[in-house]
Amino acid sequence: MDRRDLLRAFGSATALALLPTDTIAAWSRVAAGFRPTDGLTDAQLALVGAIADTILPRTDTPSATDVGVPAFVNVVVAENYTDADRAAFLAGLDAIDAHSSTNAGASFMQLSPDARGREIEAIESSKDRRGDPARTYWRLKGLVLHGYFTSERVMKDVLHIEVMPGRFDGSAPMKIERAHPAGSGRHA
Amino acid sequence: MPERTHYDAIVVGSGISGGWAAKELTEHGLETLVLEAGGPVDPQHDYVEHVQPWQMHFRGLGDRKELERDHPVQRGCYACDEVGQKFFVNDNENPYTNPDDAPFKWFRGRHVGGRSITWGRQVYRWSDLDFEANAKDGHGNDWPIRYRDIAPWYSLVERFIGITGANEGLSQLPDGEFLPPMAMTVVEQDARPKILKAFNGERVMTIGRAAILTKNHNGRLACHYCGPCERGCITHSYFSSLGSTLPAAQKTGKLTLRPNSVVAEVVYDPKTSRASGVRVIDAQTKQERQYTARVVFLCASAIESVRLLLNSKSARFPDGLANSSGTLGRYVMDHHYGSGASGTVAGFTDKTTYGHRPNGIYIVRFRNVKTQHPDFLRGYGMQGGSGRSGWGRGSSMPGYGAAFKQSLIDDLGPWTLSASGWGETLPNENNRVTLDPTVVDRWGIPAARIEVRWRDNEHAMDKDMMTAMSEMLDAAGCKDIRTHGSTNPPGHCIHEMGGARMSKTPNEGVLNKWNASWDVKNLFITDGACMASNGCQNPSITYMALTARAVDHAVASMKRGEL
Repeated sequence: MDRRDLLRAFGSATALALLPTDTIAAWSRVAAGFRPTDGLTDAQLALVGAIADTILPRTDTPSATDVGVPAFVNVVVAENYTDADRAAFLAGLDAIDAHSSTNAGASFMQLSPDARGREIEAIESSKDRRGDPARTYWRLKGLVLHGYFTSERVMKDVLHIEVMPGRFDGSAPMKIERAHPAGSGRHA
Repeated sequence: MPERTHYDAIVVGSGISGGWAAKELTEHGLETLVLEAGGPVDPQHDYVEHVQPWQMHFRGLGDRKELERDHPVQRGCYACDEVGQKFFVNDNENPYTNPDDAPFKWFRGRHVGGRSITWGRQVYRWSDLDFEANAKDGHGNDWPIRYRDIAPWYSLVERFIGITGANEGLSQLPDGEFLPPMAMTVVEQDARPKILKAFNGERVMTIGRAAILTKNHNGRLACHYCGPCERGCITHSYFSSLGSTLPAAQKTGKLTLRPNSVVAEVVYDPKTSRASGVRVIDAQTKQERQYTARVVFLCASAIESVRLLLNSKSARFPDGLANSSGTLGRYVMDHHYGSGASGTVAGFTDKTTYGHRPNGIYIVRFRNVKTQHPDFLRGYGMQGGSGRSGWGRGSSMPGYGAAFKQSLIDDLGPWTLSASGWGETLPNENNRVTLDPTVVDRWGIPAARIEVRWRDNEHAMDKDMMTAMSEMLDAAGCKDIRTHGSTNPPGHCIHEMGGARMSKTPNEGVLNKWNASWDVKNLFITDGACMASNGCQNPSITYMALTARAVDHAVASMKRGEL
C-alpha cells in the first residue's frame, strides 16, 4: 500500500495520531535549543563546532553546525556519558588542542580551514586509536556523524527519508530513487 | 453494582497465548475474565514507531541514566531503547535472582498485549523431527503429541493472524498458509541458488516467515514498511493480541479485561480437587480480590506461570500446585543464539533497498535432518539479512571535508550478508526455576530464582554455526568473511520455555496432551511452560496453536459436563 492509500485508510483524524506530538515534545529538547547544565563551555562548544565543520563543511548541503551538531554533542556528553566518560572526553578535547599547538603551531580555532584539515589528517593517521588525542577525536567523529545524519533537516532534505515508505524493494535502483523519492512523500 | 467475581473462564495474561485463549473461549460463548498484571496500552498514544531520531532527546542512543536506574536488565534487549523502554518492566519492581555463575536474562513486558507488542514476529511450524527428538535421543520425555495433532491448529492460527512467507516443501519445516512473501534483496536472491548448489540442495535460504501482513487481511492493513515494529504498529499490520485476538474477543461481548491485576495464587479446592479460581492483588492499590471460574488458563509466560504455581501451595500440593510429579520448574530451556558469520558482497552497487523490511532471511535447519553430526544432537536454523551500511560506516573511516561528506550521502558502501544460528537446547532437569527464599516483588510475591546453563551440546552447536555460515558465505562468493561467537546467556533469546512440560504419563510431567494439568483437571497452561523440548524454531505460533487446541478440548469437556 502506498502512502496515499495509507493516509486515506486512516482518515484524517487518525493520521494526526501517527506522530504523538505531546509525547515528542518531552523528548525533542535539543531541537528547541536546549542547553544542559554542566555541559560544555562556550570555548569547548566552539572547538567541537570547528572540528565538526571541518569533517562536514557547508556545501550545497548543510554543515554540521548548520544543523546543531554541537548542541547534540553537548547533550550526550553532559547527560548521557558517565562522569568518568565525560571527564575523559573534556580532557580529550584539551589533548586535541594541545596536539594542534605542537603539530600545527597554533590552537585548532586559530588555524585556517586548510590547516584544520591537515591537523585532522594528522590525528587520523595515528594507528593507535586508544590514546588521546585520537581516542577522543574518533568518539567525537562518531557523535558528529550521528548528530548530523539524524538531524531533521538532513534526514528530510538530504537523505529524503520516508517515514512510511509503503512498500519494500530489495533491488531498488540507486539513482532513480534519489532523484524522485517515491510517492509525494518528499517532506517540505 | 458490586464487581462480578464469578466467570466461566479465567485467563491469566493478555499476551500472545492469553489473547488466543480469550478469543477462543469467548467465541465459544464463555464469559471470560482476562487478568493482566500491567496497565492498559492505547495505541493512539503509546505506539511510537513513527517517532524519528531527531524527535528523540538522545537521537536514539538511549537514555543511559534512566535505563540504568529502572531497566538494568531489560536494557540488554535491543527493543528496550529510548522510546521503546515503556514496553519493558521496571526491574526494581520485578526482581528475579540467579546464581552468580549462571547469568540469566529475563526480558519482560507487563501491560495489555504483553510481549506480543515487542516480539520478533518470526513464525515457524514444528515438524515431527522436533516432536520425536526427545524420544529418539533420550534427552527429556517423549511428547504426547505429534505434528498431525497440531497441524490443523497451525492452519487456524495462520489464517486468522496472517503470515507472510514462502512454501519450500521441506519436511523439517512444514509449509503453511501464507500471504505473499516479502522480497529478498538482490544479494540474497543471488546467494540462494549458489548455496543450494554448493550443498546439494540441503541448505535452503528462504525469506523469513513472519506474522506481518503483506496485504490487507481480516480488517487489518498491510504493512507500510516503516521499520521499528518493536515500538508498536498503529495499523496493527503485525500480529499482536492488542490489535487482533483481544478485539475479536471483545466483539463477542463475553470478555472482561482487567489490567493492573497481579495474580498471586491459583486457589485450589481440596473438596472438588479443582482450581476454584485465583487470588489477585491490585497492582495500584494492592487490595486483594478473589475471582472464581469453571476453568483457569495460565498464559502468563513460561517463567511467570511456573512461579505462580510454585507460589500456590496447599496441604495437597505443598511443593506447588499441580506438582505431584516433582517436575514443576524443571527442564527450562531457551534458544542459544547469535553465533554465525558475515561477509562482504562484491558488486550490486547500483542497487539498494527501498523501505524497511521488518523481516529477514531464514536458513532452514540442515543439521541432523538426514545424517548425524559427530559433535552434537539436534539442530539450528539461521536468521540474518543483507544491506548496505550507509553513513554509519563513516564513524570509523578516515576522511573529512566536502568529498567525504558527499561520499557518505551518495555511496552507501558495500553490501554485507550475514546470518546467525538459533539452536535447540537439550532438556535438562537441572535447568530450573524455583522461588527465591528471600526476594519478593513490589507486591510481596516471591521472586523467581532461575538457574539455567548452556552445556556441551549447546557449545558444540554454536561452533558449528560459525563454521557452517562461513562455508555458505564462501559459496555465495562473499569476501572478508568474519565469524562471530555469541556470549548471550540463557534467556537472552526471549524464547524461555518449559517448566511445566506436557507428558504421556502423570509421573513425568505437569500437563497432559491437551495442556491440562494431570493433577487439577480444570487448570490449563498453554504458554511456553508446556514445552517438553524447544526445537529451533521461534516458538510463539506453537503456543498459539496449542492454546486454540486446548480451548477446543476444554469447551468440549465442559459441554460433556466433565469440567
